[in-house]
Amino acid sequence: MVSLLLLNGGVGSRFLADGPKQFVVINGVPILVYALKAADGVPEITQIVVNYPPGHANTVREIVRDYAIATPVTYVEAGASRQESGAKLLAAAKHDVVVIHESARPLVQASEFSRLIASAHRNVGYMREIPFTVAPVDPETHRVTGSLDRTRLRNVQLPQKFAGDDLRRGYEYALNEGRTYTEDATMCADAGADVYFMDGSEYNIKVTTPGDMNIASLIVSRWVNDGE
Amino acid sequence: MMVSRTALITGASKGIGRATALRLLRADAQVGTLVVVARASDAFASTVEELRRAAANGVEIVDVALDVGDREALVATVPQIHTRVGNVDVLVNNAGYTNPVAIHQVDFADFERTMAVNVYGPFGLVQELLHRGNRFEIIVNVASTAGMNGRAGWLTYSASKAALINMSEVMREELKVDGTRVVCLSPGRTATDLRRVLAPEEDPATIMQPEDVAEVIGVMLGPAGQFIDQQNVVVRH
Repeated sequence: MVSLLLLNGGVGSRFLADGPKQFVVINGVPILVYALKAADGVPEITQIVVNYPPGHANTVREIVRDYAIATPVTYVEAGASRQESGAKLLAAAKHDVVVIHESARPLVQASEFSRLIASAHRNVGYMREIPFTVAPVDPETHRVTGSLDRTRLRNVQLPQKFAGDDLRRGYEYALNEGRTYTEDATMCADAGADVYFMDGSEYNIKVTTPGDMNIASLIVSRWVNDGE
Repeated sequence: MMVSRTALITGASKGIGRATALRLLRADAQVGTLVVVARASDAFASTVEELRRAAANGVEIVDVALDVGDREALVATVPQIHTRVGNVDVLVNNAGYTNPVAIHQVDFADFERTMAVNVYGPFGLVQELLHRGNRFEIIVNVASTAGMNGRAGWLTYSASKAALINMSEVMREELKVDGTRVVCLSPGRTATDLRRVLAPEEDPATIMQPEDVAEVIGVMLGPAGQFIDQQNVVVRH
C-alpha cells in the first residue's frame, strides 16, 4: 500500500490567472482533478495526502467531493517552501512507501503511477533526456564558464517513489545542511540514498504559465477526441 | 458495450419515455435493469405494469415516483436510486414540460417550471450521479426541433430546449475524458400528450409516433450510435 503525496500548495506567481494555480482549469476542469483521478485509478494507492494553499482548504475538499474521489484523502496546509510542504505531506503519510506528485503535472497517467510502484527500486522517479544544449554560465558577468555533457544530465519530472525513511532523511539532511532543493530525487541522492530514474513521458509537462495551460488543454482535448 | 446495462429513463409514464422503456426491453439493448422515473400517476402505474408483463425475459423493472422538476426531491432521490441499482450506465433524459403562451402572457413561475423540468432536471440527474462516482456509458438528452429555432408562442419551451441542446454539447466535451457518450436528439412533431398541448388541432395519426423516436434511441444506444452522435440529431418524419 502506498501514500500519494500531492503537492498542490504553491501560488503560481507566473500565472496571470487570479488565485492559486491549482484552481486553474485545463479543458474546463480544475487542474488538481487530473492527478486526483489518475491516482484514484491505481489500486495500490490507498491514501492521498494533498496540501492546499492557506485559506483554500474548502476549495480542495469540494473538488475531492464533487469529483467523487474514492481513495481516502488527508488534507494538510502547505508549508512556506517546497521542501517544507514535502516534509509536511510526508508526516501525514500512513504508509512506508510514498509517491510524490504535483497537481501542476495534470497529464500524468494511472499507468505511470503503477510502473513506478512496480519498480524494484526503493527510490525512483521519472526523468527525461535533455533535447537541447545547456551551458554553465556566470549569470552576473554573462561569461560562459565551460561545458556540460547533456547525456549525463536529466530533466527531473514527477511522480517519484521513495521509501518514506529515505525521504525523511533527505529532508533532515537539507535542513541540517541549510540547502534548498526544488525536488526530492537529487536531495535524497545528496543525502546518501540510492535513487534511480525511469524514462518519463514527453506529455507529462509541468504547467506553470498560461502558455503551458493552453498546451495541456490542447493535449487533453486531442486525447479525448481520439487524436483528431 | 456492456452485456447487462442499467438504464434510467425519465418521463417514462407516457409518450417517448414509455416507448423507449419498451424498446429497451428488447435483447439487443443489453439492459439488465431498467429504472423508470415519472411523477406518480395512474398512467405511470399502468406503464410499470405493462413493462413488468413485457419483461418476461428477466429485465428488472425499478419504478421511481419522482418529479424531476422538483430539485429538492431529485437531490434526495438520486442517492436512493444509486444505492439500489448501482452504476447507471445509460441515462435517457426524456421528461418534458410545456405550457405555450405568448410573451405577454408568460407567467414567470411557469417559465421557471419549464426550465426546472427540461434543463435543471437533466442537469441535476447527471450531476448528482457524478457526485456519487457514477460513470455513464451513454447519456441521451431528448431535446426538440423547437430548441433549434424560435416559434411564436413557444418562448419558454423553445428557450428550455435550446438550453438542453447546448448543455448536451458541453456534457459531450467534458465527459468524453471518462469515455461517456452524450447523445442529443431533437424530435420534430411527435404524437405525444406534450405535442397535443403545443398543437391541439393536429391529427396525431398523421405525425411521427413515439415508437419511431424510441427506435432511433435504440440505434443510438447500439454499436452504430457512436458514429452519429457528435451533434444534435434531428429526428423527423
